[in-house]
Amino acid sequence: AGTRTVEPLEYYRRFLKENCRPDGRELGEFRTTTVNVGSIGTADGSALVKLGNTTVICGIKAEFGAPPTDAPDKGYVVPNVDLSPLCSSRFRSGPPGEEAQVASQFIADVIENSQIIQKEDLCISSGKLAWVLYCDLICLNHDGNILDACTFALLAALKNVQLPEVTINEETALAEVNLKKKSCLNIRTHPVATSFAVFDDTLLIVDPTEEEEHLATGTLTVVMDEEGRLCCLHKPGGSGLTGAKLQDCMSRAVTRHKEVKKLMDEVFKSMKPK
Amino acid sequence: MPGDHRRIRGPEESQPPQLYAAGEGEEPAPRDPARLRPVYARAGLLSQAKGSAYLEAGGTKVLCAVSGPRPAEGGERGGGPAGAGGEAPAALRGRLLCDFRRAPFSGRRRRAPPGGGEERELALALQEALEPAVRLGRYPRAQLEVSALLLEDGGSALAAALTAAALALADAGVEMYDLVVGCGLSRAPAPAPAWLLDPTLLEEERASAGLTVALMPVLNQVAGVLGSGEGGPTESWAEAVRLGLEGCQRLYPVLQQCLVRAARRRGAAAPL
Repeated sequence: AGTRTVEPLEYYRRFLKENCRPDGRELGEFRTTTVNVGSIGTADGSALVKLGNTTVICGIKAEFGAPPTDAPDKGYVVPNVDLSPLCSSRFRSGPPGEEAQVASQFIADVIENSQIIQKEDLCISSGKLAWVLYCDLICLNHDGNILDACTFALLAALKNVQLPEVTINEETALAEVNLKKKSCLNIRTHPVATSFAVFDDTLLIVDPTEEEEHLATGTLTVVMDEEGRLCCLHKPGGSGLTGAKLQDCMSRAVTRHKEVKKLMDEVFKSMKPK
Repeated sequence: MPGDHRRIRGPEESQPPQLYAAGEGEEPAPRDPARLRPVYARAGLLSQAKGSAYLEAGGTKVLCAVSGPRPAEGGERGGGPAGAGGEAPAALRGRLLCDFRRAPFSGRRRRAPPGGGEERELALALQEALEPAVRLGRYPRAQLEVSALLLEDGGSALAAALTAAALALADAGVEMYDLVVGCGLSRAPAPAPAWLLDPTLLEEERASAGLTVALMPVLNQVAGVLGSGEGGPTESWAEAVRLGLEGCQRLYPVLQQCLVRAARRRGAAAPL
């Protein structure tokens, strides 16, 4: 225990030499993932994801807005990742810090590149009315690997969203909403993120905890969809990786996608239809 | 939001679909004015916080985390006569910094992240109610940070946040004189103005007045009172406070059990 606080890197190196980590996991093993869907009654869709100790809740609120002028057939999906003093004492309250802004932009990129939903599906009346989906991801406990948890929470929440039926009254040109008739969103792809941390410029470990993220010399996040297509690759500086290592990461990401998809299918099958 | 380049931009403004929905609003169902909704409380669930608590009462879900004590920011303050029991002089006492936030998806309408005046008022109310219970004299020149997050508003949000914050402080091992239990009340509008204990969101929205009381159950002292609205004559407010304090006393055994369970869990996990 003494070495862990005084010389954490040496402590970790001893474990990595034996191809395992202090919490007993192997280098390519993920922490226990649990997901709970639809718990927030006031949100249109919600999901709570736990990746080991890291907990992220995603709540989606759907509102009406005018479509953007340069794309009158599209709606909006506005993600927002919130890292507050609640989840870890290294964050300060106030406007979003660097890590939160990076995470929000990452989620926006994933939504855009993977086409989870076609923004055209969100348009009700071209140029006049469209749905705006505000996806608010709040981190409740930060123990590393925020990006994977956020992506999973977003996907599960989007699958849980129920939008009421809207028709445009031709005479008054106003929208008429029927809150009793609701339908789900058309989710086209299921992007799943897998994060890696690079140790000492050579060793790759999957799903880093917060301690491991601090000691790492680089991080990498790969987002895959179900057909093994790469949606997004996030490598913010850090140590370089050879092409072969990158291929290993991508194959691990494909396996992870299968695990996550299986979990999500089980959860949604077990939910009783409203 | 115009000018906010730290967040992803959405449209300039947006309206909730409820504005365009046809149909009447719902009416709150008649009920026993002194009924308390069943409460689920759990302490010690966040690994990164020193102490944490989650409280669920009806539809209201609140999560609270405590961190610290850490060295206080701000200037040096001079000495003074020492307090009783070896505590630091009044000017060197610790500080309690409270933060109350509503999740954007917690209410009927989405609230964009920078909260505004209401959240700061409630944070101040939290601080004023928790200070009498915490032995701040034992944490000289230090500050304790309490962050409350409202995940879903189902009525009596401030009361739930108060209770959760006190549980989180106890879970963090902060020295306290007593727990603080909060209870919300609201007064139904005419024609039948009566004070209702632990209102739901629907009852709160239609109320003519609202009140939150905070009580320290063992010491039987009121830690805080916050209320506003048209409550009628003074006796009516006094009766409401009395009703609230009874509610707090009834809630106390549940919270005691929750802390005992959390302590057992911590004890079982400790030998590692």
